[in-house]
Amino acid sequence: MNRVNPLHIAILLVVVLGFMLFKLTKATDEYHESKDSYKQTLTLANELSGLKKVYADKNKIKKDLQKILRHSSLRSASIEKTLKKNNMTITSQSIDMTGLNFLLGKVLNATYQINTLKVKQLSETKASLFLEIKW
Amino acid sequence: MKFNKKRQTLFLDPHSVYGNIESKINIVLSPSLYWVKKISLPVKSVREVKQLLPSIFEDILPEGNYSYSAYKSEDEFIVFAYNDKLILETLSQKNIPVSNVAKIYFAQSEIADIDGALKINESQSIYIKDSLLILVPCCWIEEKGVLDLSKIQHSKHTISLAQFGHIVESKSLYKIGAIAMVLILLLGIEIFITTQKTSAVLAIKDELFEKNSLKSTTFQNKALLKKYKSIYKTQTKIRENISYVLGLKLKNNVKISRLSVKNKKILISFNGVKEGTQTYITKALKSKGMVFKMSFAKEIMNLEVSL
Repeated sequence: MNRVNPLHIAILLVVVLGFMLFKLTKATDEYHESKDSYKQTLTLANELSGLKKVYADKNKIKKDLQKILRHSSLRSASIEKTLKKNNMTITSQSIDMTGLNFLLGKVLNATYQINTLKVKQLSETKASLFLEIKW
Repeated sequence: MKFNKKRQTLFLDPHSVYGNIESKINIVLSPSLYWVKKISLPVKSVREVKQLLPSIFEDILPEGNYSYSAYKSEDEFIVFAYNDKLILETLSQKNIPVSNVAKIYFAQSEIADIDGALKINESQSIYIKDSLLILVPCCWIEEKGVLDLSKIQHSKHTISLAQFGHIVESKSLYKIGAIAMVLILLLGIEIFITTQKTSAVLAIKDELFEKNSLKSTTFQNKALLKKYKSIYKTQTKIRENISYVLGLKLKNNVKISRLSVKNKKILISFNGVKEGTQTYITKALKSKGMVFKMSFAKEIMNLEVSL
């Protein structure tokens, strides 16, 4: 009696169907998980690249600061700038109010990372300045 | 390694009596358990003949589900129809477990060369007429002996019984099987598509890492984001606080003489503020929610605002 029992075939088919359903559920779960993970990574990447562009783009920060320092209102301030690997320091022993207002206005209204700022009034029209910008 | 075991052979007939069957046996079906015909057809293969068998037996079979078998004998075909349920019931009545049945043969194919009639039980005999083995009552013919199957050489013509054929028709079984197979195939395709979609999402995610120069692990990236968020928060606070302090309406004799930012602290010196006259300044700072400390030296008020 070698004929295959149909009940065995039915059980086999049910088992295979069950297994396939299990695999499909697993594959669907993996798909949803990878989709969620992608969405999270996208949000993280957007936030991170945005903040990095603002605070870590060394070349852009240097270029912008140098452009500001070339402004005519700062010529009389004898500004000294020192470039280091991670920062730039801007020093003036005597800067007039126009120059000081212009420089602080530019720095405070932009997104530079101010590490140190020291302004001391010397007279009615003059002040000393020390500014350290990090990146 | 397969051993060729010599099994006992039993002639199965509804009117025969058997002892206990405990080992595997071969069964030779009595002519009372099948219908047989000898036919000549203009076809070559047994397979083609089998397709015609339901219509060949249509007129002689009682109502029920039948299986069919055929083999070629010289230029003719010997064709059979049998009721699986009837054979299974006979086996059951004779206390022969189906699991103990090794092979099933038709008497026609196994006992083809007997001389005269042979007795198979108390009331019946078999003999060959026109090449077909037939069953007759004992009294009709004089027997030459009793059927002995111990030295029988079996042919290759065996059949298998459809044990559930009477419950579900073969066609229905095939249909159910086909539907199940289609479902399995569809599930397989769905699994393949879903896996492909997952791979595509993962590939886009990898591109995202590359494009944004992200660190290799999410943990590192989250730590980096936390650092930059903290910088953003501090820098925004510096600007807000400086802007607020510089925008304060001070009395005529009061001036800001020093402003510094260092280590998350803003230090501001107000010239011309005596202790006790600073209330309007501190009130304004408190209303903004600033946390500060103050100290006085002569007419200078030093304010330390924490970020």
